[in-house]
Amino acid sequence: MTAKSKITISRRTLLAGASGTLIASRAAWAQQPSEVKVGLLVPISGLYARPGTVMREGAEMAIDHINAQGGVKALGGAKLKLVVLDSGDTTEKAKNAAQRMVAQETDLVAASGAYLSSFTLAVTEVTERANLPMLTLSYSDLITERGFKYVFQTAATAGSQAKQALPQLIKLAETASGKRPKTVAILTDNTGASIASAKAMREGLLAENQLQLIVDETFTPPLADATSLVQKIRSAKPDLLFFLPTVISDAKLLLEKMNEFGLGQGKIPTISFGIAIAEPDMLQTVSPELLQGVLTCVASWGAKGHEALIAELKTRYKEPWMTQNAISTYGDMWVIKDALEKAGKADRVAVGEALRTMDGGPSKYYPLGEIKFDEKGRRVGAGMTIVQWQAGVPVTVFPPELALAKPFWPKS
Amino acid sequence: MLRMRSLLPPLLFTLAYALVSLGVTNSYYQLILTLVPVWAVFGLSWNLLSGYTGLISFGHAAFFGIGAYATALGQIYFDISPWLLIPVAAMLGGVAGLLIGFPTFRLQGHYFALAMLAYPLAILYVFEWLGFQEVTLPIKRDAPVAYMQFADPRFYTLLGLAIMLATIVLTQVIERSRFGMALLAIKQNEAAAEAAGINTLAWKLRAITLSGAIAAAIGGFYAQVLLVVTPQSVFGMLVSAQALTVAMFGGVGTVWGPVIGSVILIPLAEILHAEAGARIPGIQGVIFGIAIVCVILMAPEGLFWKLRDLLRKRSAPKPTVDVTPEAAAANITALKPVARQRAAKGDVMLEVKNLSRSFGGLKAVQDVSFKLHKNEILGIIGPNGAGKTTLFNLLNGFLKPSQGEVLIDGRDMSGQRPHVICEAGVGRTFQVMRPFLRMSILDNVVVGAYVRARTDDQARKFAADAVARVGLSAVADRVAGELSTKELRLMELARAIAGQPRILLLDETLAGLGHGEADEVVAVIQQLARDGMTIAIIEHTMQAMVRLVDRFLVLDHGAVITEGLPEVVTRDSRVVEAYLGKKWAGHAAN
Repeated sequence: MTAKSKITISRRTLLAGASGTLIASRAAWAQQPSEVKVGLLVPISGLYARPGTVMREGAEMAIDHINAQGGVKALGGAKLKLVVLDSGDTTEKAKNAAQRMVAQETDLVAASGAYLSSFTLAVTEVTERANLPMLTLSYSDLITERGFKYVFQTAATAGSQAKQALPQLIKLAETASGKRPKTVAILTDNTGASIASAKAMREGLLAENQLQLIVDETFTPPLADATSLVQKIRSAKPDLLFFLPTVISDAKLLLEKMNEFGLGQGKIPTISFGIAIAEPDMLQTVSPELLQGVLTCVASWGAKGHEALIAELKTRYKEPWMTQNAISTYGDMWVIKDALEKAGKADRVAVGEALRTMDGGPSKYYPLGEIKFDEKGRRVGAGMTIVQWQAGVPVTVFPPELALAKPFWPKS
Repeated sequence: MLRMRSLLPPLLFTLAYALVSLGVTNSYYQLILTLVPVWAVFGLSWNLLSGYTGLISFGHAAFFGIGAYATALGQIYFDISPWLLIPVAAMLGGVAGLLIGFPTFRLQGHYFALAMLAYPLAILYVFEWLGFQEVTLPIKRDAPVAYMQFADPRFYTLLGLAIMLATIVLTQVIERSRFGMALLAIKQNEAAAEAAGINTLAWKLRAITLSGAIAAAIGGFYAQVLLVVTPQSVFGMLVSAQALTVAMFGGVGTVWGPVIGSVILIPLAEILHAEAGARIPGIQGVIFGIAIVCVILMAPEGLFWKLRDLLRKRSAPKPTVDVTPEAAAANITALKPVARQRAAKGDVMLEVKNLSRSFGGLKAVQDVSFKLHKNEILGIIGPNGAGKTTLFNLLNGFLKPSQGEVLIDGRDMSGQRPHVICEAGVGRTFQVMRPFLRMSILDNVVVGAYVRARTDDQARKFAADAVARVGLSAVADRVAGELSTKELRLMELARAIAGQPRILLLDETLAGLGHGEADEVVAVIQQLARDGMTIAIIEHTMQAMVRLVDRFLVLDHGAVITEGLPEVVTRDSRVVEAYLGKKWAGHAAN
């Protein structure tokens, strides 16, 4: 008994000791002028570790390229250094990580993150108060509706994406098949993001684009059987099917059933929103034949002009293709570098000011628009990309100036 | 005096914590210092319901989330200050507690725990469906303090500490009052609590209402700290689990448990996340999990109880040195020789008319009628399975009769809840003892006193009185877990008489006692009868019974065979055959 009590006490002492050393080691950090620190706050543990890791890969590649090309010239060729922080898998952990970032990495000039919109919302509450510029590909409209000065949204907002997507898809259908689609079916799960996209379409967007909604089904993931859903689609024969799954097994189930009913491989063009249906993980459960022809609308994707980057990502990290997470974070690092050049000093407030006033011309790594932010912090002219599964790879097919392949559309 | 002494430790702890946090300028450490009281309070709110009543709630996130969303949405849509919204959130949480508790308390054990799990998960989807996936609190640059938005993070910590101190004090007050006693009694044995006159449903509802209110208040404060509210971050499984983790790690059923758990676990998780997680992503979860498993294995009831037990063993050598059980026993034996005059037939206290109860095809009690007169001792005997305990359960309300009436003072009380019958003046003990092992004898007995006592002081007085009547005064401060069977039987007796009943139902009070011990207990029961108590007793020990009772009622197969004076009944051939067996049949013939 006495021995046990000793263990408890010594463990406590150890803990106190550990946290003590921690404070001491963190406190002494001298600023090195030859190095400029950039933060990356993304989930690298927990449920969202996979996309977070891809974001880190994109950032690392960018930092290497920037440094290889001479670093920040305005700062005498100072090299960029990436500081990665784990946002974990909850909003609370993300906020804690952000607090740690601003409290302990005091010499950061800017940061990128934090994958999920809800994480980004919490993280930017902290970075805003610390005047730390934060670039994000999260596209919730809320992020830039709070009057913040240090948040820069590189992707088109969700609201804007929904508006952009439909005309582009109709244009795409017309270019590919020569026929304008008239009727649509919506098949969506009841998770937050899917509901939001489906709601926008139902409440106006479809009507604005002269599309008629003939099947409208909502299901709760995970699906046990997709037969009845697919039967409804087969009997209604819509020109387009909007399919919004979040869970990969649901996507698999429906695509398999569509194929079974002879509707697969693009016979009824199937369109999704978001990255879920185009993640490399899809191929682990769904065969490339079933995915053939499936489209999805995403904020950004590896596209024309990124061929070398896509190849490097493949060889260096064994990623089969470049998702929005990799290319967007890659671009963020370049934007921060450009802002440093403009600011002329490694200071977060100056970098923030430079980002607000910069005019970097046409965007290279984000789809369409310019490297310029409006008063809300949204990138001016931010476009989106449409990606299609072709021979086991989701490739950019729209807009034409970024397309790596021609969209494939059934002729019948 | 007692109040002040118990107030001091939380006050000192809060002050020390406040001093430490005032010295911390690093905003990250300050945030962690703020989160510690937040989760401690959430753990305390869980503890108030689950720790004291033993009804495990897996769904406390329901209240937490309601508070968080009330605070966030109130600011966004109505521009109300959180200073006002957090109290409002507490009220909503209380109402939610009541609404959730009322149907859910029909369930017990695992079923209750699982049902509770469903509430936050269901509400989570409702909030997603309503379109509140991401809610951010508006920045108030012109009046930050009026909207609880402090530039200096230390204010959040101080505010969190204030809420924690208030919750600790509230919990302590409850712990010591009739409220806490009722909850503890429910935890140990709900049936016994009902029998001791505690309206268990009412107390449970009060507990969940208060618990929900505290959880909602701290949820509102959490929203204020996090500034962003998402369904997952306030209604998620992990949130409910957090309450359980801190409370179970620190110690369940004590005010210090959740505080200890939170003070250790929250910073530990963050340090691991910041340090280990930076090297091997995800390893923090593994280390944290293993640490918790180890502590639970070594201290299954939590750190607080483990430490307390260790300290007790070391500092208090033998509390029984001067007060040996022999001393107490001597006290009782002194009562023994006085023989009791058989009671003359007085007024009818309890009348049973044609009482029947069947379980499916089995008629456990059929058509039983008898009268219990004032100040008599009625012995109810019969072979195993004769329906004796079922009869008691019908009398004190555990079971509803299929037919017949139970008249107490001429009023039909059949089918009433046990606590109502207890209030009417019927106390009972159980065949299987139901002591509250961690509580002292006196505290065990106090639980039974509240049915009559108006104030806590009066309850203590009744209890002390009852303890004296059974001769346990000398050992009143000992913990029930250390007592012998005889002392436990006497303690149960004291608990039953602390409620000042007029009728006492004793179910095999002499079971498991040795010869001498049984005599001591018999002496106590006789003394009670001399003091005017009316008693019905079920017993097997014939020898003691014959000397103890005024009359016998003999049951077999649920029906009355005969009733009458002991000398007559023990010679009745039907009784001898049905109950006493062949050996006694010979004696009866003589």
